[in-house]
Amino acid sequence: MEVRNLSVSYGGAQILKGINLRLGAGLTAVIGPNGAGKTTLLKAISGLVGFKGIVKLFDRELDSLDQAERVRLVTYIPPIVEALPDVTVGDLVLSDSMVDHGLLPKYVEILQLHTLLTRKLSLVSSGELSRALLARGLSRNSRVIALDEPLSHVDVRFQLILLKHLRTLSQEGRVILIASNQLTPLLSQVDYVVAVNGGEVAFFGSVADLLKTDTLSRIYGVRFEVVRVGDFTDLIPVEPS
Amino acid sequence: MSSLDLFIKRRRKRFLIAFTLITSVLLIVFLAHLSLGYRFLNPLEVFVEGVAQVISRNLGVEGYRLLRALTAVVVGATLALSGCLMQVTTKNPLADPYILGVSSGALFMVVLSFMFAQPTAHPLAIALRTLTASSGGMLAYLLTMFIASKAGTTPTSVLLAGVAVGTFFYSASLLPQYVMFQDIHKLIAWSMGSFVSPSPEALVPLIVVSAAALIYIYLVRSPLNNLQISDDFVRQTGYNPMNLRRCLTFLASLLASVSVAWFGVIGFVGLAAPHISRRVLGTSGLVYVLPTSLVLGSLILTASDLIGKTLVPPVEIPVNVIASMIGAPTLALAIVELKRYGGGGS
Ligand SMILES: Nc1ncnc2c1ncn2[C@@H]1O[C@H](COP(=O)(O)OP(=O)(O)OP(=O)(O)O)[C@@H](O)[C@H]1O
Ligand SMILES: [Mg+2]
Repeated sequence: MEVRNLSVSYGGAQILKGINLRLGAGLTAVIGPNGAGKTTLLKAISGLVGFKGIVKLFDRELDSLDQAERVRLVTYIPPIVEALPDVTVGDLVLSDSMVDHGLLPKYVEILQLHTLLTRKLSLVSSGELSRALLARGLSRNSRVIALDEPLSHVDVRFQLILLKHLRTLSQEGRVILIASNQLTPLLSQVDYVVAVNGGEVAFFGSVADLLKTDTLSRIYGVRFEVVRVGDFTDLIPVEPS
Repeated sequence: MSSLDLFIKRRRKRFLIAFTLITSVLLIVFLAHLSLGYRFLNPLEVFVEGVAQVISRNLGVEGYRLLRALTAVVVGATLALSGCLMQVTTKNPLADPYILGVSSGALFMVVLSFMFAQPTAHPLAIALRTLTASSGGMLAYLLTMFIASKAGTTPTSVLLAGVAVGTFFYSASLLPQYVMFQDIHKLIAWSMGSFVSPSPEALVPLIVVSAAALIYIYLVRSPLNNLQISDDFVRQTGYNPMNLRRCLTFLASLLASVSVAWFGVIGFVGLAAPHISRRVLGTSGLVYVLPTSLVLGSLILTASDLIGKTLVPPVEIPVNVIASMIGAPTLALAIVELKRYGGGGS
């Protein structure tokens, strides 16, 4: 995937200011402070918001793809939805005409939604809603998957199940972007990091390289202690710098 | 079998049972509607004779009864469809053409047009009346949504804005009725929502508009469920959610307005039919909710009209009076549920 000089404006305000990225298959974390433009970047790549610049997916320009091809190629998974209160979890996961019906039962199993299918979205917990959205989105079996805050509401077990699974998917050649404010356990599981700050790319590279720079403390205004246990990296925020 | 397959199977089974049951009751009520009235008649004879009379344009008691029962069925389905579309496009379980003020807006414009020309059965006049009514309905809808948007477009703000707009247009439509017309009773009876003067001319635009709406719905079926969930999901089916919403809103207003143009304001059916359907079916999937809503809307109005004409003969209680007594409690139920879910955002 390639992004060249990508800009997005809402009204007069420029939210993304000329983003340049080149991503291969793999797991990429998109991090950055609130309002940095993570969600906007994911939506632009998924063709959900208008943008200036070039987005190339597998050497094909997003703009040159026809509608049907584009929506199949890339999936954006939102953090929440505000649906009609009567919509059930089952209705939600079945609402996409493009899902792979062989995959859907598998994801219902992995994300343990089987007892929740008849429950209304107005009643489910936020973690349960996240899991339902993930099951729906992942069942589309797209080659590019952009997950927005998939870790924020699910418990630590599902965080690990999800990240492990995404790793497998990325090894099958998919480009996977995870926008998140949960640096742990995200950073110990991904291949690359894109740090966005104020609509610009503040860092792009591997996790190891990220930790050699002061990017994190610069963009968040927080000092981090790095703790390594085996191949597991944890960041402990210490104090606002 | 996976839990998902089981869910799908149960959902379908529940739909088949509910749909068959409601349709059967509708059929029974329809036949009762044909046979009961000023005097008891064999419903099958009424049907056969009625069809002949309607075709030959020479209405006797059989033709009248058949037409009236058919009107109840068609208007019920039309309003249910309208309400269902409004609930989907606004993601608001309280939406309904009456509650959003659309019916009253349509009523106002039609009454206004009567000041300039008496209604006739000429095709052009029918088309004009349809157009007049829908312009009023659209105007009221836009006004309601505009006012509600100033308060964050929550279900409750939409409801209250609709009440304001609806009350205004309803009262405004009463004004010329008192000032201008001689046969004011007939006009008031019409505006209150009644089937006492059915006509084949009135059924034609209703059936045409409903059929057009159903065809459009069929064509856009793939993003339709997503419209009640998330606009981003609609975009991911390749459709523009705003355009889709505009088209469906237009159709919903049109459906309700056409019904108002001939049969006056009938409230709450559009609210109750989809609401009860989702409750009974345990799903919001439109493949199931739409057909169930349509037959349920027909059932509510056919039964209401039957009660209205047989309760205290020879008095004709307008269908709207009975239907509202069924529909209004549904609104109350919907409000209570919103509160419990905390989904009202008020
Ligand atoms: N439709 C819009 N109109 C105007 N401004 C918007 C719009 N959508 C987003 N913004 C602004 O754009 C900026 C970037 O938003 P974005 O949602 O991409 O941030 P984010 O990095 O995902 O933040 P978070 O960590 O809170 O999820 C924010 O300042 C936000 O307020
Ligand atoms: Mg975000």
